[in-house]
Amino acid sequence: DALVGCHRHYKSRPTHGIGRFKYLLPKEAPKKKKDKVQMREINVGTEHEYGDVNIQMTSYDMCLVEHFAQYVHKLCNRLSIRVTESYAMPTKTNEVLFLEERGSKMQLDAVLTTHQRVVQISGLSSTFAPILLEIIQSSQPEGVHLLVKEHTEADFKSRLKSRPELEELLAQMN
Amino acid sequence: TAAAPRPWRLFGAMCLLRPPRITQPLEKEEEEIAALMGQIELEKSHYSDHEIRKLEEEEQLRRRKESMYDDDEAPGKTVIMAQDLEDKWEQKLLQFEAAPRITDADKSNNRTSLDRKLDSNLMLLVKQKIGNQELWLLPQVEWQPGETLRSTAERAMAMFLGDHIQAKILGNAPYGIYKYKFPRAIRTEDNVGAKVFFFKAFLQSSDLSQAELKEDYLWVAKDELGDYLKSEYLKKVNRFLLD
Repeated sequence: DALVGCHRHYKSRPTHGIGRFKYLLPKEAPKKKKDKVQMREINVGTEHEYGDVNIQMTSYDMCLVEHFAQYVHKLCNRLSIRVTESYAMPTKTNEVLFLEERGSKMQLDAVLTTHQRVVQISGLSSTFAPILLEIIQSSQPEGVHLLVKEHTEADFKSRLKSRPELEELLAQMN
Repeated sequence: TAAAPRPWRLFGAMCLLRPPRITQPLEKEEEEIAALMGQIELEKSHYSDHEIRKLEEEEQLRRRKESMYDDDEAPGKTVIMAQDLEDKWEQKLLQFEAAPRITDADKSNNRTSLDRKLDSNLMLLVKQKIGNQELWLLPQVEWQPGETLRSTAERAMAMFLGDHIQAKILGNAPYGIYKYKFPRAIRTEDNVGAKVFFFKAFLQSSDLSQAELKEDYLWVAKDELGDYLKSEYLKKVNRFLLD
Protein backbone atom coordinates (compact mmCIF):
# COMPACT_ATOMS: atom_id res chain seq x y z
CA ASP A 1 0.00 0.00 0.00
CA ALA A 2 1.66 3.20 -1.16
CA LEU A 3 -0.04 5.35 1.49
CA VAL A 4 1.34 3.43 4.40
CA GLY A 5 4.99 3.22 3.53
CA CYS A 6 7.59 3.01 6.18
CA HIS A 7 10.68 4.94 5.16
CA ARG A 8 12.38 4.56 8.50
CA HIS A 9 15.86 3.39 8.03
CA TYR A 10 15.49 0.38 10.23
CA LYS A 11 18.48 -1.54 11.50
CA SER A 12 18.19 -4.32 8.96
CA ARG A 13 18.13 -1.96 6.00
CA PRO A 14 21.38 -1.14 4.31
CA THR A 15 20.71 2.59 4.74
CA HIS A 16 20.64 2.35 8.50
CA GLY A 17 22.63 5.20 10.11
CA ILE A 18 22.54 7.35 7.03
CA GLY A 19 22.68 10.98 8.12
CA ARG A 20 24.82 10.44 11.26
CA PHE A 21 27.45 13.14 11.48
CA LYS A 22 28.00 13.96 15.15
CA TYR A 23 30.71 11.33 15.38
CA LEU A 24 32.68 13.21 12.74
CA LEU A 25 32.81 16.51 14.59
CA PRO A 26 35.61 17.26 17.06
CA LYS A 27 34.72 16.74 20.69
CA GLU A 28 33.50 19.91 22.45
CA ALA A 29 34.63 20.61 26.00
CA PRO A 30 31.68 20.70 28.43
CA LYS A 31 30.47 24.31 28.91
CA LYS A 32 31.12 25.82 32.32
CA LYS A 33 28.50 28.05 33.82
CA LYS A 34 30.76 30.94 34.83
CA ASP A 35 32.15 32.72 31.80
CA LYS A 36 34.91 34.99 32.99
CA VAL A 37 36.60 35.30 29.63
CA GLN A 38 38.07 38.71 28.95
CA MET A 39 39.73 39.69 25.72
CA ARG A 40 42.29 42.44 25.70
CA GLU A 41 44.17 43.84 22.75
CA ILE A 42 46.95 46.32 22.35
CA ASN A 43 45.55 49.72 21.65
CA VAL A 44 47.40 52.68 20.17
CA GLY A 45 51.04 52.74 19.37
CA THR A 46 52.62 50.78 16.63
CA GLU A 47 49.63 48.53 16.24
CA HIS A 48 47.21 51.17 14.86
CA GLU A 49 44.32 49.04 15.97
CA TYR A 50 41.68 49.52 18.56
CA GLY A 51 40.87 46.77 21.02
CA ASP A 52 37.29 46.02 21.98
CA VAL A 53 35.08 48.99 21.23
CA ASN A 54 31.55 49.30 22.59
CA ILE A 55 28.90 51.15 20.63
CA GLN A 56 26.10 51.91 23.06
CA MET A 57 22.73 53.13 21.87
CA THR A 58 20.14 54.45 24.34
CA SER A 59 16.66 55.66 23.73
CA TYR A 60 13.14 55.74 25.10
CA ASP A 61 11.78 54.05 22.00
CA MET A 62 12.53 50.34 21.92
CA CYS A 63 11.74 49.66 18.26
CA LEU A 64 14.02 52.46 17.09
CA VAL A 65 16.90 51.35 19.23
CA GLU A 66 16.58 47.73 18.22
CA HIS A 67 16.38 48.53 14.55
CA PHE A 68 19.35 50.83 14.81
CA ALA A 69 21.36 48.17 16.61
CA GLN A 70 20.48 45.69 13.88
CA TYR A 71 21.51 48.21 11.26
CA VAL A 72 24.87 48.80 12.93
CA HIS A 73 25.46 45.06 13.26
CA LYS A 74 24.68 44.44 9.59
CA LEU A 75 26.84 47.38 8.57
CA CYS A 76 29.81 45.95 10.41
CA ASN A 77 29.19 42.54 8.84
CA ARG A 78 29.18 44.10 5.41
CA LEU A 79 32.36 46.06 6.12
CA SER A 80 33.98 42.87 7.46
CA ILE A 81 34.53 44.20 10.93
CA ARG A 82 34.46 41.50 13.57
CA VAL A 83 31.48 41.85 15.90
CA THR A 84 32.26 39.97 19.08
CA GLU A 85 29.05 40.57 20.98
CA SER A 86 25.75 42.31 20.56
CA TYR A 87 23.69 42.47 23.72
CA ALA A 88 21.10 44.54 25.52
CA MET A 89 21.45 46.14 28.90
CA PRO A 90 18.47 45.89 31.31
CA THR A 91 15.81 48.55 30.81
CA LYS A 92 15.49 51.35 33.33
CA THR A 93 12.01 52.57 34.19
CA ASN A 94 11.49 56.17 35.19
CA GLU A 95 8.23 57.48 36.55
CA VAL A 96 7.55 61.09 35.75
CA LEU A 97 5.47 62.58 38.54
CA PHE A 98 3.61 65.75 37.80
CA LEU A 99 3.26 68.14 40.69
CA GLU A 100 0.03 70.10 40.46
CA GLU A 101 0.34 73.81 40.87
CA ARG A 102 -2.05 74.28 43.73
CA GLY A 103 -1.73 71.09 45.68
CA SER A 104 0.74 68.90 47.39
CA LYS A 105 -0.23 65.68 45.66
CA MET A 106 2.08 64.27 43.06
CA GLN A 107 0.21 62.82 40.19
CA LEU A 108 1.55 60.12 38.00
CA ASP A 109 2.10 61.64 34.61
CA ALA A 110 4.09 59.18 32.58
CA VAL A 111 6.19 56.07 32.79
CA LEU A 112 9.33 56.20 30.68
CA THR A 113 11.45 53.17 29.90
CA THR A 114 15.05 53.63 28.78
CA HIS A 115 16.44 50.90 26.55
CA GLN A 116 20.08 50.32 25.80
CA ARG A 117 21.70 48.13 23.16
CA VAL A 118 25.41 47.46 22.88
CA VAL A 119 27.34 46.25 19.84
CA GLN A 120 30.89 45.19 20.59
CA ILE A 121 33.47 45.39 17.85
CA SER A 122 37.07 44.38 17.68
CA GLY A 123 39.78 44.75 15.10
CA LEU A 124 39.12 48.30 14.01
CA SER A 125 42.03 49.88 12.22
CA SER A 126 42.72 53.48 13.09
CA THR A 127 42.46 54.57 9.46
CA PHE A 128 39.00 53.16 9.12
CA ALA A 129 37.59 54.06 12.52
CA PRO A 130 36.76 57.74 11.74
CA ILE A 131 34.90 56.72 8.58
CA LEU A 132 32.82 54.16 10.44
CA LEU A 133 32.09 56.65 13.19
CA GLU A 134 30.97 59.20 10.67
CA ILE A 135 28.65 56.77 8.94
CA ILE A 136 27.04 55.75 12.21
CA GLN A 137 26.80 59.35 13.35
CA SER A 138 25.12 60.52 10.19
CA SER A 139 22.64 57.65 10.13
CA GLN A 140 21.54 58.13 13.73
CA PRO A 141 17.78 58.26 14.09
CA GLU A 142 16.07 60.98 16.09
CA GLY A 143 15.91 60.37 19.79
CA VAL A 144 18.75 57.86 19.98
CA HIS A 145 21.86 58.71 21.96
CA LEU A 146 25.07 57.22 20.67
CA LEU A 147 28.12 56.47 22.77
CA VAL A 148 31.28 54.85 21.47
CA LYS A 149 33.87 53.84 24.02
CA GLU A 150 36.45 51.21 24.71
CA HIS A 151 35.48 48.12 26.56
CA THR A 152 36.59 48.02 30.16
CA GLU A 153 36.28 45.73 33.17
CA ALA A 154 33.59 47.98 34.58
CA ASP A 155 31.49 47.54 31.45
CA PHE A 156 31.88 43.80 31.68
CA LYS A 157 30.99 43.77 35.37
CA SER A 158 27.91 45.94 34.84
CA ARG A 159 26.23 43.11 33.01
CA LEU A 160 26.59 40.74 35.96
CA LYS A 161 24.23 40.76 38.89
CA SER A 162 25.63 41.22 42.36
CA ARG A 163 24.92 38.58 44.96
CA PRO A 164 24.44 40.30 48.31
CA GLU A 165 24.31 37.08 50.38
CA LEU A 166 27.60 35.88 48.96
CA GLU A 167 29.19 39.24 49.63
CA GLU A 168 27.88 39.23 53.19
CA LEU A 169 29.27 35.78 53.83
CA LEU A 170 32.62 36.77 52.36
CA ALA A 171 32.68 39.88 54.54
CA GLN A 172 31.90 37.75 57.58
CA MET A 173 34.66 35.37 56.71
CA ASN A 174 37.16 38.19 56.39
CA THR B 1 72.21 62.68 6.83
CA ALA B 2 69.83 65.48 6.15
CA ALA B 3 66.75 64.64 4.16
CA ALA B 4 66.69 66.00 0.64
CA PRO B 5 64.53 69.14 0.48
CA ARG B 6 61.22 68.09 -1.00
CA PRO B 7 59.95 70.13 -3.91
CA TRP B 8 56.39 70.04 -2.64
CA ARG B 9 54.98 72.44 -0.14
CA LEU B 10 52.54 70.93 2.30
CA PHE B 11 49.31 72.44 3.51
CA GLY B 12 46.80 71.19 6.02
CA ALA B 13 43.17 72.07 5.35
CA MET B 14 40.21 71.65 7.64
CA CYS B 15 36.76 70.72 6.49
CA LEU B 16 34.54 71.85 9.34
CA LEU B 17 31.15 70.16 9.21
CA ARG B 18 28.05 71.15 11.06
CA PRO B 19 26.12 67.90 11.48
CA PRO B 20 22.42 68.04 10.60
CA ARG B 21 20.01 68.74 13.40
CA ILE B 22 16.84 67.24 11.98
CA THR B 23 16.27 64.19 9.83
CA GLN B 24 15.60 64.64 6.17
CA PRO B 25 12.00 64.38 5.01
CA LEU B 26 10.94 60.95 3.79
CA GLU B 27 10.63 60.16 0.13
CA LYS B 28 7.23 59.44 -1.38
CA GLU B 29 7.72 55.66 -1.37
CA GLU B 30 9.09 55.73 2.14
CA GLU B 31 6.04 57.62 3.36
CA GLU B 32 3.68 55.21 1.65
CA ILE B 33 5.41 52.21 3.16
CA ALA B 34 5.49 53.83 6.59
CA ALA B 35 1.74 54.47 6.39
CA LEU B 36 1.10 50.91 5.26
CA MET B 37 3.20 49.42 8.05
CA GLY B 38 1.46 51.64 10.57
CA GLN B 39 -1.89 50.41 9.36
CA ILE B 40 -0.83 46.76 9.53
CA GLU B 41 0.52 47.20 13.03
CA LEU B 42 -2.61 48.95 14.18
CA GLU B 43 -4.79 46.15 12.90
CA LYS B 44 -2.62 43.46 14.41
CA SER B 45 -2.18 45.08 17.81
CA HIS B 46 -4.10 44.38 21.00
CA TYR B 47 -5.78 46.89 23.27
CA SER B 48 -3.62 48.59 25.87
CA ASP B 49 -4.63 49.04 29.53
CA HIS B 50 -5.79 52.57 28.96
CA GLU B 51 -7.98 51.59 26.02
CA ILE B 52 -9.54 48.67 27.90
CA ARG B 53 -10.34 50.96 30.80
CA LYS B 54 -11.91 53.48 28.44
CA LEU B 55 -14.07 50.83 26.82
CA GLU B 56 -15.25 49.51 30.18
CA GLU B 57 -16.19 52.96 31.36
CA GLU B 58 -18.11 53.66 28.19
CA GLU B 59 -19.96 50.40 28.73
CA GLN B 60 -20.83 51.42 32.29
CA LEU B 61 -22.09 54.82 31.18
CA ARG B 62 -24.25 53.26 28.55
CA ARG B 63 -25.69 50.76 30.98
CA ARG B 64 -26.47 53.46 33.50
CA LYS B 65 -28.29 55.55 30.95
CA GLU B 66 -30.33 52.64 29.66
CA SER B 67 -31.37 50.94 32.84
CA MET B 68 -31.06 53.84 35.31
CA TYR B 69 -29.98 51.80 38.25
CA ASP B 70 -28.35 53.22 41.37
CA ASP B 71 -24.75 54.16 41.50
CA ASP B 72 -23.98 51.61 44.13
CA GLU B 73 -20.93 50.45 42.31
CA ALA B 74 -19.04 53.63 42.78
CA PRO B 75 -19.08 54.77 46.38
CA GLY B 76 -15.37 55.15 46.90
CA LYS B 77 -14.04 55.47 43.38
CA THR B 78 -12.55 58.75 42.37
CA VAL B 79 -14.25 59.92 39.27
CA ILE B 80 -11.43 60.46 36.89
CA MET B 81 -12.47 58.71 33.75
CA ALA B 82 -10.20 57.65 30.98
CA GLN B 83 -11.97 60.03 28.65
CA ASP B 84 -11.12 62.97 30.92
CA LEU B 85 -7.50 61.96 30.95
CA GLU B 86 -7.50 61.84 27.19
CA ASP B 87 -9.03 65.28 26.95
CA LYS B 88 -6.42 66.63 29.33
CA TRP B 89 -3.65 65.16 27.24
CA GLU B 90 -5.15 66.54 24.05
CA GLN B 91 -5.14 70.01 25.51
CA LYS B 92 -1.56 69.67 26.59
CA LEU B 93 -0.59 68.58 23.10
CA LEU B 94 -2.31 71.58 21.58
CA GLN B 95 -0.32 73.86 23.80
CA PHE B 96 2.94 72.42 22.53
CA GLU B 97 4.44 74.15 19.50
CA ALA B 98 7.24 72.54 17.59
CA ALA B 99 10.09 74.67 16.29
CA PRO B 100 9.93 75.38 12.58
CA ARG B 101 11.91 73.16 10.26
CA ILE B 102 12.52 75.84 7.70
CA THR B 103 14.14 78.72 9.45
CA ASP B 104 14.43 82.35 8.49
CA ALA B 105 17.90 81.81 7.16
CA ASP B 106 16.49 79.29 4.73
CA LYS B 107 13.94 81.70 3.39
CA SER B 108 16.43 84.47 2.93
CA ASN B 109 19.16 82.12 1.71
CA ASN B 110 21.62 83.71 4.03
CA ARG B 111 24.67 81.61 3.45
CA THR B 112 26.70 82.98 6.31
CA SER B 113 24.38 81.74 9.04
CA LEU B 114 24.43 78.33 10.62
CA ASP B 115 20.67 77.99 10.84
CA ARG B 116 20.17 77.27 7.22
CA LYS B 117 19.37 73.75 5.98
CA LEU B 118 18.97 72.05 9.32
CA ASP B 119 18.78 68.64 7.71
CA SER B 120 22.09 68.49 5.88
CA ASN B 121 25.78 68.95 6.55
CA LEU B 122 27.12 72.46 6.24
CA MET B 123 30.77 73.15 5.49
CA LEU B 124 32.92 76.17 6.14
CA LEU B 125 34.41 77.89 3.09
CA VAL B 126 36.80 80.79 3.37
CA LYS B 127 38.15 83.19 0.80
CA GLN B 128 41.91 82.93 0.74
CA LYS B 129 44.64 84.50 -1.28
CA ILE B 130 46.78 81.97 -3.12
CA GLY B 131 49.53 83.42 -5.23
CA ASN B 132 47.80 86.44 -6.60
CA GLN B 133 44.29 85.01 -6.79
CA GLU B 134 41.51 85.25 -4.29
CA LEU B 135 39.86 81.85 -4.12
CA TRP B 136 37.14 80.16 -2.12
CA LEU B 137 38.75 77.28 -0.27
CA LEU B 138 38.51 75.16 2.78
CA PRO B 139 40.62 76.95 5.38
CA GLN B 140 44.21 75.90 4.94
CA VAL B 141 47.52 76.77 6.42
CA GLU B 142 51.07 75.81 5.54
CA TRP B 143 52.66 72.90 7.33
CA GLN B 144 55.63 73.65 9.50
CA PRO B 145 58.25 70.97 10.10
CA GLY B 146 57.92 69.37 13.49
CA GLU B 147 54.18 69.35 13.80
CA THR B 148 51.70 66.71 12.70
CA LEU B 149 49.38 67.40 9.79
CA ARG B 150 46.43 67.15 12.09
CA SER B 151 47.71 69.98 14.25
CA THR B 152 48.26 72.01 11.08
CA ALA B 153 44.61 71.58 10.26
CA GLU B 154 43.64 72.52 13.80
CA ARG B 155 45.76 75.61 13.52
CA ALA B 156 44.01 76.53 10.28
CA MET B 157 40.67 76.23 12.00
CA ALA B 158 41.85 78.24 15.00
CA MET B 159 43.21 80.93 12.73
CA PHE B 160 39.90 81.49 11.06
CA LEU B 161 37.50 80.86 13.86
CA GLY B 162 39.37 81.59 17.05
CA ASP B 163 40.50 79.23 19.75
CA HIS B 164 37.30 78.30 21.47
CA ILE B 165 35.60 76.12 18.96
CA GLN B 166 34.24 72.79 20.02
CA ALA B 167 35.07 70.78 17.00
CA LYS B 168 35.89 67.13 17.19
CA ILE B 169 38.36 65.48 14.88
CA LEU B 170 37.82 61.77 14.80
CA GLY B 171 41.15 60.37 13.75
CA ASN B 172 44.71 61.26 12.86
CA ALA B 173 44.50 60.19 9.25
CA PRO B 174 43.71 62.71 6.50
CA TYR B 175 40.61 62.23 4.42
CA GLY B 176 41.81 63.41 1.06
CA ILE B 177 44.61 65.07 -0.79
CA TYR B 178 44.76 67.62 -3.53
CA LYS B 179 48.00 68.36 -5.26
CA TYR B 180 48.67 70.94 -7.85
CA LYS B 181 51.70 72.31 -9.56
CA PHE B 182 52.48 75.97 -9.57
CA PRO B 183 52.32 77.79 -12.88
CA ARG B 184 55.61 77.75 -14.67
CA ALA B 185 56.38 81.33 -13.84
CA ILE B 186 56.77 80.64 -10.11
CA ARG B 187 58.09 77.15 -10.36
CA THR B 188 61.62 76.64 -9.15
CA GLU B 189 63.75 73.62 -8.44
CA ASP B 190 62.63 73.38 -4.88
CA ASN B 191 59.09 74.53 -5.29
CA VAL B 192 57.32 72.44 -7.85
CA GLY B 193 53.88 72.51 -6.37
CA ALA B 194 51.78 72.07 -3.30
CA LYS B 195 49.88 69.25 -1.66
CA VAL B 196 46.85 69.97 0.46
CA PHE B 197 45.75 67.35 3.00
CA PHE B 198 42.14 67.50 4.12
CA PHE B 199 40.90 66.72 7.58
CA LYS B 200 37.35 66.55 8.81
CA ALA B 201 35.96 67.91 12.02
CA PHE B 202 32.46 67.99 13.45
CA LEU B 203 31.09 71.03 15.19
CA GLN B 204 29.76 70.02 18.59
CA SER B 205 27.90 73.20 19.40
CA SER B 206 26.47 75.68 16.98
CA ASP B 207 27.39 78.62 19.12
CA LEU B 208 29.88 80.70 17.19
CA SER B 209 29.37 83.99 18.96
CA GLN B 210 32.98 84.09 20.08
CA ALA B 211 34.36 83.37 16.68
CA GLU B 212 34.99 86.42 14.61
CA LEU B 213 36.00 85.88 11.07
CA LYS B 214 38.02 88.55 9.42
CA GLU B 215 37.59 87.52 5.82
CA ASP B 216 34.57 86.30 3.96
CA TYR B 217 33.20 83.01 5.04
CA LEU B 218 30.30 80.85 4.01
CA TRP B 219 28.52 77.82 5.35
CA VAL B 220 27.66 75.78 2.34
CA ALA B 221 25.99 72.44 1.72
CA LYS B 222 27.45 69.73 -0.50
CA ASP B 223 25.41 70.51 -3.62
CA GLU B 224 26.23 74.19 -3.43
CA LEU B 225 29.96 73.55 -3.30
CA GLY B 226 30.11 73.57 -7.06
CA ASP B 227 29.22 77.25 -7.11
CA TYR B 228 32.36 78.19 -5.27
CA LEU B 229 35.13 75.68 -5.73
CA LYS B 230 37.18 75.01 -8.80
CA SER B 231 36.45 71.75 -10.63
CA GLU B 232 39.66 69.87 -9.84
CA TYR B 233 39.55 70.89 -6.21
CA LEU B 234 35.87 70.07 -6.07
CA LYS B 235 36.44 66.57 -7.45
CA LYS B 236 38.95 65.75 -4.76
CA VAL B 237 36.83 67.24 -2.02
CA ASN B 238 33.68 65.45 -3.11
CA ARG B 239 35.44 62.13 -2.74
CA PHE B 240 35.38 62.24 1.02
CA LEU B 241 32.09 63.97 1.64
CA LEU B 242 29.13 61.89 2.71
CA ASP B 243 25.77 63.23 1.79
